[in-house]
Amino acid sequence: MLDETATMTEEIFTPTQGYNEEDKHAVFNREFMPHINSMYNFAFRLTMDEDDANDLVQDTYLKAFRFINSFERGTNAKAWLFRILKNSFINDYRKRSKEPSKIDYQEVEATYNSEESAEVEHTSDLRVESVQDMIGDEVANALNSLPVDFRTVIVLCDIEGFTYEEMAKILDIPIGTVRSRLHRARNLLKDKLRDYAATMGYNTQI
Amino acid sequence: MDMSMNPRVLDGTDHTVSMKTHCDNQKECMKMIEAILDGEATEAQKDHFKQNMDRCMPCIKTYHLEKCIKDALQLKVPKKICPNDLLAQIKNLVNH
Repeated sequence: MLDETATMTEEIFTPTQGYNEEDKHAVFNREFMPHINSMYNFAFRLTMDEDDANDLVQDTYLKAFRFINSFERGTNAKAWLFRILKNSFINDYRKRSKEPSKIDYQEVEATYNSEESAEVEHTSDLRVESVQDMIGDEVANALNSLPVDFRTVIVLCDIEGFTYEEMAKILDIPIGTVRSRLHRARNLLKDKLRDYAATMGYNTQI
Repeated sequence: MDMSMNPRVLDGTDHTVSMKTHCDNQKECMKMIEAILDGEATEAQKDHFKQNMDRCMPCIKTYHLEKCIKDALQLKVPKKICPNDLLAQIKNLVNH
């Protein structure tokens, strides 16, 4: 895992440009800074802690500036920054995080894999009206309760609007895995929303 | 939506077909619905969706539920904004 991450990091930070100091600041200010709110939101959804999100965003932006010669002006800055942030999260934060470990995550994914063949029919007992009645914090709580890898794909796709191809690059996984992980993440989220709707007394019957 | 649907229905000529209350291809239909909502559907999936979306009740319900959840995530979940002091700190560190 560590060797794999080191290889990814080398790939991201391979210098291909030769910016002068003025260019470096221009690229940083015009192409990186506009994404800072999205980056902060992503960092918070990963760490679930404002102080950790602050550290993660600061580390990511400093790394981005230090290795700015690896970024080609005019290309997809947002995806490049998100990839750096995600790798920093895995390398520096996840190890000391209270989140379930990779092993726990694999167990969750394995459970969903094993159940896929017997996948239940459309989640008919969660009603559109119930979801429409929920306020943002209630939906956010359901999202936050998912294991981090499932939470991540939902944030990238549904909140940040990345394409599957961009997500595959950010997460260093094949597009097929993006698709299947997203599908499982959404099933988990629906379970959480349904439980929440039932707890709050929303009508979950057809 | 059902992939095994009657060919007369697929070519759009049969207007007497009643609404299906059970979907025999939930797994495939679910994948297609996700792809449509994510803007990742192929042309074939888009065509199939357009021709059949109003003929299978379970798929209609699934489409509306998935869309509703996606909309809630996009529009309702509060977005954290980068604090001003962090913004200033980053600019300061990069400029010096």
